[in-house]
Amino acid sequence: MTGYQRYSAWSLLKAAMTPQTPWRRMWPRSDPKDRYEVVIVGAGGHGLATAYYLAREHGISRICVLDRSIVGYGNVGRNTTVVRSNYLLPQNHYFYEDSLRRWESLSAELNFNVMYSPRGVIELATSDDEMNRSAQRGNAMRLAGIDAALLDRRQLAAFAPEVDLDYPRRYPIIGGLLQRRGGTVRHDAVAWGYARAAAVHGVEIVENCAVTGLHVAGGVALGVETERGTIRAERIVFAVAGHTGAIGHLLGMRLPIETHLLQAAVTEPVKPFLNTVLVYGYAHTEVYLSQSDRGGVVMGGSLDGFPSYTREGQWSRLEQVVQGAVALLPQMAGLKLLRHWAGTNDMTMDGSPIIDRFGYENVFLNGGWCYGGFKAIPASGAACARFVATGTAPDLIRPYRLSRFHSGHVLDERGMGPFPALQ
Amino acid sequence: MELRCPFCGIRAVSEFNFRSVAPERKEQPASALVYERVNNPDCSLEYWQHVEGCRAWLLITRNPSSGRVDDVRFLVHEA
Repeated sequence: MTGYQRYSAWSLLKAAMTPQTPWRRMWPRSDPKDRYEVVIVGAGGHGLATAYYLAREHGISRICVLDRSIVGYGNVGRNTTVVRSNYLLPQNHYFYEDSLRRWESLSAELNFNVMYSPRGVIELATSDDEMNRSAQRGNAMRLAGIDAALLDRRQLAAFAPEVDLDYPRRYPIIGGLLQRRGGTVRHDAVAWGYARAAAVHGVEIVENCAVTGLHVAGGVALGVETERGTIRAERIVFAVAGHTGAIGHLLGMRLPIETHLLQAAVTEPVKPFLNTVLVYGYAHTEVYLSQSDRGGVVMGGSLDGFPSYTREGQWSRLEQVVQGAVALLPQMAGLKLLRHWAGTNDMTMDGSPIIDRFGYENVFLNGGWCYGGFKAIPASGAACARFVATGTAPDLIRPYRLSRFHSGHVLDERGMGPFPALQ
Repeated sequence: MELRCPFCGIRAVSEFNFRSVAPERKEQPASALVYERVNNPDCSLEYWQHVEGCRAWLLITRNPSSGRVDDVRFLVHEA
């Protein structure tokens, strides 16, 4: 712990009284060494969390996390910050519930305020069919011990008074499924918190060092090739989110993945008026929104609809998201958009993630998170670390093996079939 | 982004629907044909349809990393 500052109310007060900033860099800049026990490719949420749990829970000391850019530049800094575990399939809701429980205590564990805000997530229903499906999903969750409440119109009006249910919408809102413990987490803080906590436990983080290939000799993976030379490693983990498919291509492997863009946008900051996370799906599109602690309304919608790595979203999709937001909350009509951006999503053929060995005994893949990666970070990191450390996948992630697509055990949460653009 | 439909000319991409990545023409198990993708970040061969125009099915060659569209052609079924 030497060299690192422990954060507390007292340290904050002391810093406020100090004329010059006493805050130090949260993790040191590192140059890559020649050899590590574990090399993790991708310093996003999943890579950093895996590194942290490997160091903390499994006592592995020589770990390096490589990134072609900087910490937090990828999807961990591009999502809409929602955390929830309201899934229908047992394999999914047990996994995401494990994650939600970890979110609840993560700030204390990392000594870094990730601003977990259990403000409730409501998925609104616009038809009797949707109410039936919500009831089915809510019941499945409750059987697994996860909180869920089906709200009728009156209960919804009481819980979310910001939604005017009498406003004349093309798709009127008749109820919704509430997960009270769901909410938001400050996404950048998750990247920084895990990076700092991993560094405290001796993990080296090397930014701006792209991996160009796997170093293989005699059919055995010995390390990774990077822009700054070969780095040898006993075990290698790929946690490259939207570039999982491209890594597959680089290694000559076909993955059940397509990369699609997902856009998000935030309005100018305004006084608090929205106290929950709302999801409003209608016709063939959807919008989800929440108000950040800074006051901006953060919103997102459906995928752009075709494979892309460009991180440049289509205007027509952004327009649809904004239309949905204004249909849901007409009081937003006068707001200006402050920023909008896109992230690359590694969409799998069933909408569920992949954590498995990747071509070699000592190479692991943590990816295929579709657009559900952010909320999964703590559970994914902990389970992936145990897998890498022990060589055996914990029960929680066994359903996420790669072979499920060939054995017929797909986890198609939304029943879409192998069309990632529609997931 | 815009696409040049061989029948309607240059139109906004929102008029078109992406359907799927074209599978490779070679012998492989059905599960691979359904689920696996080549994922070449520099070249993607795809089926699209001009749903809000002439409704023709199109075979499009694109570079998903740069967003450049290399080729749009009418999809003719081979006998």
